[in-house]
Amino acid sequence: MTESEHGLAVDAKGLGRRFGRVWALAHVDLAVEFGTSVWLRGANGAGKTTLLRMLASLSTPSCGELSVAGFDVYRELDDIRREVSFISHALYLYPGLTAIETMLLWMRLGEGEVNRADAADRLAEVGLVGAATRRVGEFSAGMKKRLALARTQLEAPKVLLLDEPFSSLDTAGCQLVEAWVLKFVEGGGTVVMASHDHERSLALCQLVIDLENGQITGSHAGGGGA
Amino acid sequence: MRSITRTVWAILSKDLLLEWRERTRTLSVILFAVVTLLLFSFALGPDVDALRAATPGFLTLALLLSSTLALGESFRLEREDHALEGLVMRPVGAGSIFYAKALANALLLTLLAPIVVTLAVVLYSLEIGAGSLARLIGCWSLGAAGLAAPGTLYAAMTSRLKTQDVALPILLFPLVVPVLLGSVKAMDLVLFGDAMGQLGSWISLLIAFDVIYWAVCGVLFRFALEEGE
Repeated sequence: MTESEHGLAVDAKGLGRRFGRVWALAHVDLAVEFGTSVWLRGANGAGKTTLLRMLASLSTPSCGELSVAGFDVYRELDDIRREVSFISHALYLYPGLTAIETMLLWMRLGEGEVNRADAADRLAEVGLVGAATRRVGEFSAGMKKRLALARTQLEAPKVLLLDEPFSSLDTAGCQLVEAWVLKFVEGGGTVVMASHDHERSLALCQLVIDLENGQITGSHAGGGGA
Repeated sequence: MRSITRTVWAILSKDLLLEWRERTRTLSVILFAVVTLLLFSFALGPDVDALRAATPGFLTLALLLSSTLALGESFRLEREDHALEGLVMRPVGAGSIFYAKALANALLLTLLAPIVVTLAVVLYSLEIGAGSLARLIGCWSLGAAGLAAPGTLYAAMTSRLKTQDVALPILLFPLVVPVLLGSVKAMDLVLFGDAMGQLGSWISLLIAFDVIYWAVCGVLFRFALEEGE
């Protein structure tokens, strides 16, 4: 199916997520077109991570309808996971594997060729070429984030979900993320990110959505693409 | 379409590599099984005949108790940096993750067999030939496979709990009673003779339960990965 047949990159209606008696997210209606970058803005506990996890199909909604990249989150999990990449607080890394082994594992879990040279190139792009054979357990927090970024580059998603993408990164690392997001959106991809780095996020994203106590309280244009 | 074999092998080889590099789980489980066997023999005293008669039960219990240690640890690395979520996020299917983890657990438990069975032969002065020793290891391996599948499922379910050490055996032990029975009876027949030709039936029973557990747990595993409310 093509993107136009699918319609929206994210289409949520009456979306809610409950943990016990507490609604972390409630009555969320959200429509995001392909080729758009969205910044979810809100204080701690506003529901940003909960929303991103539902978009990533890692958390099943308690109520409402949700499709991501045109696929229903209740019935088409594998399709969503083929089209969505997610960099969360947790980076899904194994401390006992080296950086290059981490990349090769990701390739083997995907559908493409397993190519060591390609994996090394991706590591070079994020400045980790010299650390390719070092174990992840020896990495700093910033290096781990860079490795997670490199690993995500092995995928070919239509929707990119980023939870605090600038945390732990130095200035060069932040610029790397910015360039990557811009290029991804230019290519027709959709980015939904949550960040407390207001300045960078506002400049980067085209749409700002405000979340408060699990509900969307407003939205306005950002500086991205302007 | 990506082959399930490729995915299972990717996760399994990752688990084996990490196990080889760390080795603490393997060594702990081996040591635990050896200590368990020694304690059983102390508990029963110096009566060699009683020790010999109880060998099938001791071996099966050593396998069962060691399995809880091995299985409980099998998801520790996956939870450390939420790596299991990373696997789930790939379009690999929950079944592939289950079979890779269950195979790794079955391999680890089977690895115990030559060490623990040989130790039992020496400790309890068993007089058996190489053929019987091999058959004993075979029975152990079938028992290990029967424990590994439901054990992997329950280990995944309980891995988010602080009380995993308690919850895992409580859930697992009642379910694997048929495997324990089959394993004890099969080992008993290997050690003390099979005048009525019953060994084949007990082995068939073990294989049947192994197949059922591996099939059913493979289907149910996706529920163990879901985030609770």
